[in-house]
Amino acid sequence: MTNFQIGAVLLIAGAIGATFLQRGRGRISTRVATGWVALWGAAGIAIVRPEVTRIVANALGIARGADLVFYLAILGMFVAFFLVHLRLRRFEAELTRIVRELALRAPREPGSDA
Amino acid sequence: MSTAVRDATYIIIAAYNEGRVIRATVSELRAQWPNVVVVDDGSDDETADEALAAGAIVLRHVLNRGQGAALQTGIRFALARDARFIVTFDSDGQHRAEDVPRLIEPLVRGDADVALGSRFLGTTEAMPLRRGVLLRIAVFFTRAVSGARFTDTHNGFRAFSRHAAGLLDIRMDRMAHASEILDQIAARGLRWVEVPVHIRYTDYSRAKGQTSSGALRVLVDYLQGRWLR
Repeated sequence: MTNFQIGAVLLIAGAIGATFLQRGRGRISTRVATGWVALWGAAGIAIVRPEVTRIVANALGIARGADLVFYLAILGMFVAFFLVHLRLRRFEAELTRIVRELALRAPREPGSDA
Repeated sequence: MSTAVRDATYIIIAAYNEGRVIRATVSELRAQWPNVVVVDDGSDDETADEALAAGAIVLRHVLNRGQGAALQTGIRFALARDARFIVTFDSDGQHRAEDVPRLIEPLVRGDADVALGSRFLGTTEAMPLRRGVLLRIAVFFTRAVSGARFTDTHNGFRAFSRHAAGLLDIRMDRMAHASEILDQIAARGLRWVEVPVHIRYTDYSRAKGQTSSGALRVLVDYLQGRWLR
């Protein structure tokens, strides 16, 4: 293995370890943890055995493995942005609800000292 | 307008950092209307105190959430107070208190559920040309999307019957709420009329108003809100 591959594998091992740790602390669900471990694993395979990406790419009609990885990364990024955006909109709506409830609980009437 | 109608009418003003003008706006309304509610949308000036001093009931958002959010808060408050008619009114002096009776008259007669003020059926004072163009474009767009033939789609001067206000659910917190309100009026089959009103443009309100880039952001917010509902 090249130095880069060794370094990348160590980094990926660390990421998988961190994922298990977060799962152990209950901060992420089993489903989410499994998804992340699968992603790290796939990244590790692509780095250690790049010929695998070529085989998969060819099966999909794409000439180069690197191109497949690039396309998937772009797609994944857009999906992630979209999901984060949706979540942010939900948070904004919930924040407004909280702010509204606080306002409605404490109206100030003219002539009062409040 | 009878005392009973005045007592049953709540005028909602959303205000953000309007400490300079809110007292005059509220005072003008309080001369004839007993129930003026100012929703202070997280201002960091004296908006709340000035409104209270002028005789308004003040609700305070601890964080700025936007005009749409503030109006929805005010509407909920008014409904909880058994309001029969709910009017939304701008904080910056663009609207005239003397137009309120004309606006709510169709609701009082039972001829409509919603009355929308229209500057293009009424009159304006010192409206900037670019503002007029932007508003006309907004009218065209809203007609295309909602299918209803409104003449003034971004006029904050509106009146709702209790029934209509109860059906409203403003979820677009910021400026896109104006289009959302019209969408909901059309979608819920509410009977609406437009009423000529007079809009005053002062140096203060012109300086605060919508820029072209701001208008584009409103459009994006509105379209996102529709598609991500």
